[in-house]
Amino acid sequence: MDLRAGDSWGMLACLCTVLWHLPAVPALNRTGDPGPGPSIQKTYDLTRYLEHQLRSLAGTYLNYLGPPFNEPDFNPPRLGAETLPRATVNLEVWRSLNDKLRLTQNYEAYSHLLCYLRGLNRQAATAELRRSLAHFCTSLQGLLGSIAGVMAALGYPLPQPLPGTEPTWSPDPAHSDFLQKMDDFWLLKELQTWLWRSAKDFNRLKKKMQPPAAAVTLHLEAHGF
Amino acid sequence: MLTLQTWIVQALLVFLTTDSIGGLLDPCGYINPESPVVQLGSNFTAVCVLKEKCMDYFHVNANYIFWKTNHVTVPKEQYTVINRTASSVTFTNIPLLNSQLTCNIRTFGQIDQNVYGIRIISGLPPEKPKNLNCIVNEGKKMMCQWAPGRETYLETNFTLKSEWATEKFDDCEAKRDTPTSCTVDYSPVYFVNIEVWVEAENALGKVTSDHINFDPIDKVKPNAPHNLSVNNSEELSSILKLTWINSNIKNFITLKYNIQYRTKDASTWSQIPPEDTASTRSSFTVQDLKPFTEYVFRIRCMKADGKGFWSDWSEEASGITYEDRPSKAPSFWYKIEPSRTHGHRSVQLIWKTLPPFEANGKILDYEVTVTRWKSRLQNYTVNGTELTVNLTNDRYIATLTARNLVGKSDASVLTIPACDFQATHPVMDLKAFPKDNVLWVEWTATNGSVNKYILEWCVLSDTLPCIPDWQQEDGTVHRTYLRAPSKGPTVRTKKVGKNEAVLEWDQLPVDVQNGFIRNYTIFYRTIIGNETAVNVDSSHTEYTLSSLTSDTLYMVRMAAYTDEGGKDGPEFTFTTPKFAQGEIEAIVVPVCLAFLLTTLLGVLFCFNKRDLIKKHIWPNVPDPSKSHIAQWSPHTPPRHNFNSKDQMYSDGNFTDVSVVEIEANDKKTFPEDMKSLDLFKREKISTEGHSSGIGGSSCMSSSRPSISSSDENESAQNTSSTVQYSTVVHSGYRHQVPSVQVFSRSESTQPLLDSEERPEDLQLVDNVEGSDGVLPRQQYFKQNCGQRETSPVISHFERSKQGSSINQEDFVRLKQQQISDHISQSSGSGQMKMFQEVSTAASFGPGTEEQVERFETVGMEAAIDEGMPKSYLPQTVRQGGYMPQ
Repeated sequence: MDLRAGDSWGMLACLCTVLWHLPAVPALNRTGDPGPGPSIQKTYDLTRYLEHQLRSLAGTYLNYLGPPFNEPDFNPPRLGAETLPRATVNLEVWRSLNDKLRLTQNYEAYSHLLCYLRGLNRQAATAELRRSLAHFCTSLQGLLGSIAGVMAALGYPLPQPLPGTEPTWSPDPAHSDFLQKMDDFWLLKELQTWLWRSAKDFNRLKKKMQPPAAAVTLHLEAHGF
Repeated sequence: MLTLQTWIVQALLVFLTTDSIGGLLDPCGYINPESPVVQLGSNFTAVCVLKEKCMDYFHVNANYIFWKTNHVTVPKEQYTVINRTASSVTFTNIPLLNSQLTCNIRTFGQIDQNVYGIRIISGLPPEKPKNLNCIVNEGKKMMCQWAPGRETYLETNFTLKSEWATEKFDDCEAKRDTPTSCTVDYSPVYFVNIEVWVEAENALGKVTSDHINFDPIDKVKPNAPHNLSVNNSEELSSILKLTWINSNIKNFITLKYNIQYRTKDASTWSQIPPEDTASTRSSFTVQDLKPFTEYVFRIRCMKADGKGFWSDWSEEASGITYEDRPSKAPSFWYKIEPSRTHGHRSVQLIWKTLPPFEANGKILDYEVTVTRWKSRLQNYTVNGTELTVNLTNDRYIATLTARNLVGKSDASVLTIPACDFQATHPVMDLKAFPKDNVLWVEWTATNGSVNKYILEWCVLSDTLPCIPDWQQEDGTVHRTYLRAPSKGPTVRTKKVGKNEAVLEWDQLPVDVQNGFIRNYTIFYRTIIGNETAVNVDSSHTEYTLSSLTSDTLYMVRMAAYTDEGGKDGPEFTFTTPKFAQGEIEAIVVPVCLAFLLTTLLGVLFCFNKRDLIKKHIWPNVPDPSKSHIAQWSPHTPPRHNFNSKDQMYSDGNFTDVSVVEIEANDKKTFPEDMKSLDLFKREKISTEGHSSGIGGSSCMSSSRPSISSSDENESAQNTSSTVQYSTVVHSGYRHQVPSVQVFSRSESTQPLLDSEERPEDLQLVDNVEGSDGVLPRQQYFKQNCGQRETSPVISHFERSKQGSSINQEDFVRLKQQQISDHISQSSGSGQMKMFQEVSTAASFGPGTEEQVERFETVGMEAAIDEGMPKSYLPQTVRQGGYMPQ
């Protein structure tokens, strides 16, 4: 009886020890490093939040530009604004993008758009509009950081801005006021399109990352090595 | 602030040093450290270094240094002389203080001098702020708060710092009045993690709290859902549908909700299971509600994953569930009234209204059917709660249903037995006992099946008739309590008249009604009288009690009765007034008029019959004016009287130097009198001078009482003697002490009048010789005080009386005024000085009188010595005036 009791105590202790150390086993330890999943989710949420924010901002700003820009059916051909990164892309091409390229394109697009947006901010007349624009810029800055975070989590390097191609908002003096406004209009429109696209991009990434959480961990570890 | 204080201390010391040493601009030394902030409980050493120059000047060295904190010398044991020029002081275990430390030297062995001063401030370094947490009110900026830790006793600044991995945000400086929270200046960006921490810093150190890293969306407190509305459904009486509008945040986060509801009268809320409202939605249907009941709802929301904060509750919204058919049949009973015609009986069918929770809606009417055995049924539709039918003596069956908008209740069936029916199994052992403030009734169940029991009762009272009430119970129970309102209405008076009072009360709250109030009964009585009861219909909230006795205390209370009984409310007392409104006026006015009329008539009567009355009442007295035996001199007696008064006056009251002055004038008006009484005059100068000398309350204190008294005696007999009196005194002062003139207010106004009348006189008066200036004054008196035109003396007394009422203060002021007038005209410097002296004396108040008196005395004596009978005034001047004594 005594002997048996001692045995069972020993076994229990052994079991406890094993259980105790279980969380330390890297493959099972998911709480320590959640992987890029949550940050992709967050980036996705952020794009939606920004899209929502932009909707009200664009309304205000287009009203500020005045007609015809604030008319709902105003849909001019994309004449100028050639420097703006284009969000529209062939569906097949978009589908075939790999994660790294997808993220890089997003990152680059927003870096440029942010620069242009800052120029817009400087031109805005009313304080209220400037405040909204400033907040949107900050949020966009956050999005950039968020994308950079995802890229870092996935082990991709951040794209280096090529020297000399740093986009600047330099209103051409030859531009008429109308064309200037047209540029602003296209900037906002392009931003909107980019946010829609990013939402799709991150949704795709999110779905891709979700199912095998363990695989993600392994994948990361491989990268670590 | 601190520096400023130190600077002030230094500046002060420099100033002091400069002052004491005379022209030394630099401080004699300095203290190191300059403006110390010391940690509580630590040690502190200050060093005072003297300057060579100063040491040479005062012949001192560091040994001469001593220290003071807040003006108290620090014990020598705490000093250390470092070298010839420096000495230090050490304090151990510094307590909480804010004290001034000065370095001092003792020069020449006895003179202590400050060298330098500093202010020591003690406190604690800040503690690490804890429990840092942030909240983002939707649409507003982020606010963070923290626990600042222990009190530091020092000015401590808290700075909230925040940054992203890629960007730093502006610091948020906590305001002085809210050092535990700060609202950042920028709108937060959701879905991007932010790192936040707090830095606390004061003069003794700086600490940083733990950093917290969060997504602002996880700290959000959404705006409450708004426009909450409640709709009922005609199909289902147990549901209500809520709709609301979510805040904008639902566009990018999922919300969950709390929905609470209660019936309108309840105070506690019920909650809908949270799992039913765990995702974003804008409507919800609440089920299992009672029909035709008003419910109140409120809703709040938060982020669905539970991170963040609940929003505030929305505004409450209420709705009423749809009606349902009455859930129960009403209680049903009957009363048989004595039959008038043979073979028929009048049956009163009575029933009770359903309580709201059973009525399930508004009862529109009741349907009653009465069926005679195996006969056609009779239908009745009734709005009230009773129906009287004429029935034969046979057995009948009556049914009753209540109807509302939705449907009919089940039927209550009542058998009205035939006339000759005898109950076989009466209820036994009926007992009633009070318990828990209600009256319980208990009985033994009879054998056999019982459908239901009916309890009948009435209130047993000497004053009230027995009005039977009833209550229906199921056939299974054998004990119940009589249901009556648990509370009576509170009655109060609205208006109380002489013979009536208007009572008013509020409707009883539903909670205490315990049924439907059928009627109210008002009981009122005087303190000794019998109680009277009045029944009032339940629809009233006001009743007028009439035929009350006036001026009587009434006690009134009120009971509310439902079908099951009643309950008294609290007693209220009021007193009827003695008179009705306007009654007093109605009595007083005629009485007054009558009195007036009577008086008028009386007077008229007296007037008409005055001769008759005169004869009857008064004896016939001869008229002295018609006498030819003696001739009366009308002026003498009053003069006499006044003289004696004057005597009393100058003896007893003091203020009257004015008297004196007027007298002087008088004297001048009658120079012949003066001359003839030259001798008296001179004597009086001294005596009156003494007696009227300000402050001397009695002439008996004078040096020559005998003379003065004899004078008085004489003066009592002729007017000129009075004149003399005044003359003497006046002339004694005239030019030496113009203050004398001032004593009377009237005097001071006189020149003004004079100048109006005769401008040239003013000059004279002011200039010198009294005789010239007197005339106009005399005239003035005649004009203004002159009831006694023939007697200036009398007018003088009048003046003196007035003068006596002048208070000391006026007196002094006038005196000064006069003095200043005179100063401008005085020729001698001595005189001038004297005036000043007097005026100074006057300004000292109590001392004045004495001084003036002394002065007067001297003046008079001088006048006497000189022996110049007519003009006393210039004498002193010639003598060189009086110098202040």
